[in-house]
Amino acid sequence: MLDIVGKRFWFFLIAGAVILISLISLLGFGLETGIEFSSGSMMTVSFEQEVDQDELKQELANLGYANAIVQRSGEGDFFIRTSTLTTEDKERLVDTLTAKFGSLTETEFHSVSPMIATETARNAAIAVAVAAVGILLYLTWAFRRMPKPFHYGTCALIALGHDVLVVLGIFSILGGILDWEINLMFITGVLAVIGYSVNNTVVVFDRIRENLKKGVGSDFEVVVNNSLVETLSRSLNTSLTTLFVVLALLFFVGASIQNFAVVLLIGIIAGTFSSLCIAPTLLIVWEKGEWGRFIRWLPLPGVKARGV
Amino acid sequence: MHRKNLLVLIIVLLLFAFSICALIYPLFGRQEMRLGLDLVGGSHLLYQARFPEGATAEEKTRSMDRALETIRTRIDKYGVTEPIIQKLEGERILVQLPGFTDIDEAKKLVEQTGFLEFREVEVNRDGQPVYLVDYLEASDFFSDEKGTRLFVDEGGNPVAFLMKNEEGVLTYVNKDGNPIDVEELREGLADLPAWIPARGDDGTVLTGSFLASATPNIISRPGGAEANVGIEWNEEGSVIFDQIAKRLYSRPYGSVERALGIFLDNVLISAPQIREPKYEGTGVITGGFSIDEVRRLANLLESGALPMPLEKPPLYEEKATLGAGFIDRSITAGVIGIILVMLFMIIYYRLPGVLASLALIFYGALVLALFKLIPVTLTLAGIGGFVLSIGMAVDANVLIFERMKEELRMGRTPGAAIEAGFDRAWTAIRDSNITTFIVCIILYWLGSSIVASAPVMGFALTLFIGVAVSMFTAIVVTRTLLRLFAGTRLVQKTSLFTAYLEKKSA
Repeated sequence: MLDIVGKRFWFFLIAGAVILISLISLLGFGLETGIEFSSGSMMTVSFEQEVDQDELKQELANLGYANAIVQRSGEGDFFIRTSTLTTEDKERLVDTLTAKFGSLTETEFHSVSPMIATETARNAAIAVAVAAVGILLYLTWAFRRMPKPFHYGTCALIALGHDVLVVLGIFSILGGILDWEINLMFITGVLAVIGYSVNNTVVVFDRIRENLKKGVGSDFEVVVNNSLVETLSRSLNTSLTTLFVVLALLFFVGASIQNFAVVLLIGIIAGTFSSLCIAPTLLIVWEKGEWGRFIRWLPLPGVKARGV
Repeated sequence: MHRKNLLVLIIVLLLFAFSICALIYPLFGRQEMRLGLDLVGGSHLLYQARFPEGATAEEKTRSMDRALETIRTRIDKYGVTEPIIQKLEGERILVQLPGFTDIDEAKKLVEQTGFLEFREVEVNRDGQPVYLVDYLEASDFFSDEKGTRLFVDEGGNPVAFLMKNEEGVLTYVNKDGNPIDVEELREGLADLPAWIPARGDDGTVLTGSFLASATPNIISRPGGAEANVGIEWNEEGSVIFDQIAKRLYSRPYGSVERALGIFLDNVLISAPQIREPKYEGTGVITGGFSIDEVRRLANLLESGALPMPLEKPPLYEEKATLGAGFIDRSITAGVIGIILVMLFMIIYYRLPGVLASLALIFYGALVLALFKLIPVTLTLAGIGGFVLSIGMAVDANVLIFERMKEELRMGRTPGAAIEAGFDRAWTAIRDSNITTFIVCIILYWLGSSIVASAPVMGFALTLFIGVAVSMFTAIVVTRTLLRLFAGTRLVQKTSLFTAYLEKKSA
């Protein structure tokens, strides 16, 4: 039978490295915050004629919006983000652009004060914390007949933390390199990943619970491995079907939902990894008190990979 | 067992037919899917209520409720479909007007305080009208009236309020309450009459609160249509109005002091001459209005004044979005997503996969019908939640089918494997979905407490409904369909259940 849990130290190493990179990027780049997190105006315009992005940016600079962010969001569609515009400023801008590039339709316009998103982010953080406590309590209750029910909830939360950190980290890299900004859809996406990730982990834990009850296998490690292998195709299939729809969202809805879809894409991949390779193996390490062994294993990775 | 299965099947089919009907036809008064502002476009306004200092919590609550009611009346009368008018934490009011893309018009509709009062021109003790020029030289009021004197320009807009300060000195302030330099008033404004509150015999000021009704009228005249607002006073207002009319009627016809000034939020909208000593409860407000203007004015008068002014809070968002093809694109994404998932399920799970695909179609119809009937405001994030839930909806099926395969491998008959698969998968489905429910509930609770959270709430609600319905479709619908096949010979062919099962079990 496929031995998954035997490679647990490797998984920890990979997860640790990814988390470390994420943390470094978060500290270095931070997160590029969108219009919703800083005061300013955002408009979406649609030109009838073909317009060059650089020319548009140049024209905006001529108008005095040198810091304007211009993004192409579809055929002839552009996101334009500027400092806060008054109604007159906006009219002047639209008139100038019409004069230069031909007729355009303005499809969206927002002016936002910065507190709105800061408040949302703060509340999202509170919600995540409360949700974490809720998950911990429920899982501890659901696994109350197991020897150490508290372990299950905690390991699920650690896997969850891994997924969120990876999403944040990758977005901070995307922000640093491609100027991707996080917005409210990003926050919504992160919250979705949280629900998704725990869902996946619980299915594996459920099988461990069932197998422990049946008393198959004397060793906890063997039970966990069997449970993992038994639920492997389910885990991969569910991730695949969810990926299908997320990709459909990404390719067919376009820029407005891009952040949400990409967060889910990363989250599903990270979540599948953590629910298969991190959460169940952590149970074993905790059960057996292997932290010391892991540390001793670390300095010489690769030499005795199977020596667990 | 068999009969029970048939019964469930009939119920499921009925439910499916019901969902399709609900989506196509108006049902329970629901005409269409409720779409969020980001999809359909519209205005999103947020206000901070400002209360006088020392207002008690109870007074504030009462005023907030009245303000909400007033705004709702105004908007309903204007004919906006499905507005959202909500009281938010921190004495804030959220107004969303789907389809109402003219944000200035939207603001006017909501923000106008709607304080209607009637004023007359002050006369001095000799019966002569008093003008601004007289007051510029004066140190005291010319009559016994204690209230503010209001001066308006030719357009009817307030230029100065005259009042006595605490030391009894006459002071001029502008409409924002800031003092004005007297010298500025001398230039060109000297001939403005002083408007004082029109009072009944017992001193009660005539205001909009005595109105019983206001209706817009359009009267065709040879020279074009005239639009006016017909008003009706309540009993008390009728008495006060007649007392004022009687007093003004005794003044010379055509003079400024015989006019009754109608002021809306301190703007003079019309100053008709009093033509009769007795009106007995009715009247007409004219003023060269357009048809739209009388509609709005009648609406404003009838819905009443806001109990407190609304101002822009430090936290605001104004939006006028147009749903540019999002809906079409989301539908495309949803359909393609569903087709991909179905293909995968059919290729991988064979017969059960086909049944799960049927269940998925049922799932889509039921969820969308629920969205329409509840109704759930569908935002971009909500669509995201729904499309995501399609992916997760098959999860329960996948769990069950994987379980079935295992049972088949262990040598059970397909019929027994079906039942065992469903029974064994239940705990996993339950526990994993309950954790998702917990997350949804917490997100929803978070969403309702803040402003910019429409996406978060929409997402939480759609995901919750999606996951709940998916449990139902997987456990009831797929199972019922599978049981239908359990008695037939088809089921004996295990190759219909999985592609490579026979190799392993052989």
